[in-house]
Amino acid sequence: MSIPLVTHSVALTKRSVRGRLRQPAVLAPSFIFPLFFAALGSASFSQLAQDPYFRENIASSFLNYAVAGAILQGVLFASTSAAGDLATDIEQGFFERLLASPITRTSIVLGRLAGSMVVGIIQVCVFLTIFTIAGARVESGPIGILGLIVASALLGLAMSALMAGLAIKSGSPEVVQGAFPLVFVLMFLSSAFFPRHYMSGWYATVADWNPMSHIVEGMQSFVNQDLQASQFLRAWLLPLGIAIISIAFALRTLSKRLAAS
Amino acid sequence: MTRTSNSLQSDPLSAPIVAEGLSRSFGSGDSIVQAVDGIDLEVHPGEIFGFLGPNGAGKSTTVRMLTTLLKPTSGTARVAGYDVVREADKVRRSIGVALQDAAIDPLMTGRELLALQSVLYGLPKNVGRIRSLELLERVGLTAAADRRVGTYSGGMRRRLDLALSLVHEPSVLFLDEPTTGLDPMSRLTLWEEVRRLNDAGTTVLLTTQYLEEADQLADRIAIIDHGHIVRQGVPRDLKAQVGFPTLSVRVDRDFTERAREILSRFGDLRPSAEGTLGVGLAHGAQDVATVVRALDEAGLKVRHLELDEPSLDDVFAEATGHRIEGAGSNSSSDSEEDGDEAPVRRRGRRRS
Repeated sequence: MSIPLVTHSVALTKRSVRGRLRQPAVLAPSFIFPLFFAALGSASFSQLAQDPYFRENIASSFLNYAVAGAILQGVLFASTSAAGDLATDIEQGFFERLLASPITRTSIVLGRLAGSMVVGIIQVCVFLTIFTIAGARVESGPIGILGLIVASALLGLAMSALMAGLAIKSGSPEVVQGAFPLVFVLMFLSSAFFPRHYMSGWYATVADWNPMSHIVEGMQSFVNQDLQASQFLRAWLLPLGIAIISIAFALRTLSKRLAAS
Repeated sequence: MTRTSNSLQSDPLSAPIVAEGLSRSFGSGDSIVQAVDGIDLEVHPGEIFGFLGPNGAGKSTTVRMLTTLLKPTSGTARVAGYDVVREADKVRRSIGVALQDAAIDPLMTGRELLALQSVLYGLPKNVGRIRSLELLERVGLTAAADRRVGTYSGGMRRRLDLALSLVHEPSVLFLDEPTTGLDPMSRLTLWEEVRRLNDAGTTVLLTTQYLEEADQLADRIAIIDHGHIVRQGVPRDLKAQVGFPTLSVRVDRDFTERAREILSRFGDLRPSAEGTLGVGLAHGAQDVATVVRALDEAGLKVRHLELDEPSLDDVFAEATGHRIEGAGSNSSSDSEEDGDEAPVRRRGRRRS
């Protein structure tokens, strides 16, 4: 990478992170809702931990099971908000200010994505602290925690790149926010909130094919199982693959937008 | 697509901005809109060049092409000696841009934005920091430097915008409607700063819909309407070409046609504010008494009378057949006044 690309991306990453942290009202839902759903799930389905299959193959408690789902949900919230900020830049003209400068064009997207990753990492650390206080335990130890953090960052990268592509294409924060319910539905149709083992019918079929199930299960395995190589494959490689495709989509959309002007 | 022209291979120092046949259209087929249509432009080094026109005339589109934000449909332009399409990055490094529509991030502080701008222009950290301090001082924002821009007033934002465009000490500065929406005091402050920059050698191209702004600031102006440059030159010369002063007369609506007939005896009728008739007095101000007498003898009650020296609005009207709608000029008739005696005003503007 050229030096201007790095310095410009770093400068825009700082701006992106500052912007996120300075909007507590926008940031709050990505913390509150996942924790609320985790608390609700733990209260409602705590009896599930009495099932020997659940205890032996899934998690020692429903709270432990809920950790990865909450992180996934928080990361998706934050990624959408970050892409919404990019769309706001386009709509309100800051994007144009950047284009009028000799900035490396790619850094406009990379800065935003890196910012989203940084916020995602902060979010995971906060979640893990809260869950630990509440009684959850990461079975795979410190390396597992690191694995969880990296997985979240990669997932954040993948989702924010996808949403950033949408933001660049539409230039409208409303369109980005409007796409979020689709992501939310995808999340509900996965094993983020309930184990696949207990699903049946079409719900189970959709969850089986839903990549979100496999990512979240990879993350769940860091929390609930001893350290294994297969955990990294599911929790890292799948979001990394999606991230590569999403970044290509976002950069191509940017290139098309610039060519059209 | 651009066409090459040998005439554009000029010394950048002698012609900071040159455009030939610059055009830009939007849409396609039946819905095509020709926003800018074959503009020729040459801005001399060290001058303030005013680009005057109403909303939608093509000012901002032209600036966006000259600042590399929009590709021309046809024609060519060189800014600071570089082609705006083929050498866009070099153009960007050489110019400062303060765009009307380019927002300033409300979540960042003035100091943070200047630091970001310094990085984007490749200034070393310490140079950027010193430069930021100087600029904050210069535009009077030192005390507000660490406040978020969201808390700034409109005038403060415009001053910060100007400071941001100057971080890399550009030789050519583009200001797109820099004072639109500002109160008179903020406008004057910005004018002062633009003059100071120009005195220091910066070439400035500013677009404006304010006649007074163009008249006060610009060494030369181009008047643009419907994508065409209709007049170009020194404001004083352009006004002199219009010649006669304009007498604006308002009578009761029922007598408008009769008044029009009488006024036409004294010179060419000119476009004027709604409800007002304008006539270019062929023999100058000495005709005013005769006009009033003629209207009086015809039994017409004059509600308002105003004599204007030729203004840029007259230049615009003479060139286009209509006035700049909503232009912030003090040449427009302000208010309807009651009473039997018709108020008479005489005004004229000269660049100080």
